[in-house]
Amino acid sequence: MISIEGVTYSYGDGINALDGIDLEVKNSELLAIVGENGAGKTTLVKHLNGLLKPQRGRVMVEGIDTKETTVATLAKKVGLVFQNPDHMLFAETVEKELSFALTNFGLPPEEIARRVEWALIEFRLSNYRDRSPFTLSGGEKKRVSLASVLCYDPQIIVLDEPTTGQDSLQKTRLASTLTKLNRQGKTVVVVTHDIEFVADFIPRVVVMSRGKIIADGPTEEILVRKDVMEASSILPPQLAELSWKLGLESPSIKAEIIIEEIKQMLRGGQK
Amino acid sequence: MKVFKAFEYRRGSTILHRIDPRSKLVYLILFASLTVYFTKPLALFIIFLSFLPMVYVGKISTRWKQSLRGSLFFIAFIFIFNFVPTAYYSGNLLDAAVSAIAMSLRFLNLISVFSIFFLTTSPEDLTQSMVQLKIPYDYALTFNMAMRFVPTLSREAQYIMDAQRSRGLEMEKGNFVSRIRNYIPILIPLIISSFRRAELVADAMESRAFGASKKRTSLHLLRMGRNDLLFVLAATGSALALFVLNVLL
Repeated sequence: MISIEGVTYSYGDGINALDGIDLEVKNSELLAIVGENGAGKTTLVKHLNGLLKPQRGRVMVEGIDTKETTVATLAKKVGLVFQNPDHMLFAETVEKELSFALTNFGLPPEEIARRVEWALIEFRLSNYRDRSPFTLSGGEKKRVSLASVLCYDPQIIVLDEPTTGQDSLQKTRLASTLTKLNRQGKTVVVVTHDIEFVADFIPRVVVMSRGKIIADGPTEEILVRKDVMEASSILPPQLAELSWKLGLESPSIKAEIIIEEIKQMLRGGQK
Repeated sequence: MKVFKAFEYRRGSTILHRIDPRSKLVYLILFASLTVYFTKPLALFIIFLSFLPMVYVGKISTRWKQSLRGSLFFIAFIFIFNFVPTAYYSGNLLDAAVSAIAMSLRFLNLISVFSIFFLTTSPEDLTQSMVQLKIPYDYALTFNMAMRFVPTLSREAQYIMDAQRSRGLEMEKGNFVSRIRNYIPILIPLIISSFRRAELVADAMESRAFGASKKRTSLHLLRMGRNDLLFVLAATGSALALFVLNVLL
């Protein structure tokens, strides 16, 4: 459970990167945070493991005030994967890269070996076990960076732009990994620009713009709201756009629903 | 990382910004040499005081103070590593303190004088003045770009630290040796991404036809004016005065 109450943060340039954020994330929720560049998404997620501490307001993670503990303590509960894998990878082999966090948290060797094995298989990296992470392609590096955090099994998983540089097959696999972890009871927060990914796989969406939350709710309701999509400079999902153009009474992001509505229109003729 | 603020140029229009970079270079060399040459804390402190009007005239006090605050750690480090061994071997605490203070002031002065130079000199002007001093353009540009990427590098170091701390890295954990080892996960990504960036920049420059013409000409030439010469005279004069003062002290 994460609760963010009235959080304000500024980098000292006179602009509030976060401007009074209130957000509650329940256990085992799966949600996305979307918004234009510079909306404050990354600043917000850095508050979740204490990298940034709120200048005003309060962030509580599993009942702990982030101001009163260290990043290392929070990192065990909150696994945060950043956008750029090049900022993370340093080890000689993929295997060592994956065991870095596990060693930092002082897990016993057998446990480390078991979890590394799980991550290698889950992210289809077994073939690269002994390769240097620097020789991998962009998409593979991205998977190593995801695996290197997910392997220590944090209760809350926060991913900043996990789909960049991934082809559609990898995206679907990522979605199924996230859905699986979510079903096992993990809380998953995904920060992304990839609105189709959100529309297809993520049930709750939070829309940010200029340091504020401008909408929060079930994905199929929020992503079809033209005002919200425009205010946050998000390219709406194609199906939402199609629904608007068709002038459907209840626009949707689900193909089946739109097909049903079109059928209704055709059967009923001009209303 | 605040210490990098010492080199972040922002456009300004004070008299100090408008002085020819070559004149400021004379000032920089004179005062840096004096700082290195002087050994008496009082003389070094007087040099430090002489920077205050420069900082005021150039309106760079905020970033100058930030860079000093950022270098406090190094100054403390320099002080301790000069004081402890000298005190231990000579047994004279006063002498040890005096020489340690002198070393710390020397560092403070060097940071200040370089800071005054770089905060008031635009990178383009600096490159241009190096070219006019007959330094080959390639070297001048290399130097300019190295300066240009300092803030980028410090931002990148911050990203990397955030990422590794999120994976449970504790920088301040363990004894001296393991603390140094803690920097490996920061330094490797930093170095590799710097190499990669260098390659990208080289590609970008070549695709914009860098080096296509052998003979470069400049649209704007730097010309030494009356103010620039006066500045050189004033700098030389005060350097001489300081030199004499140091002998008398």
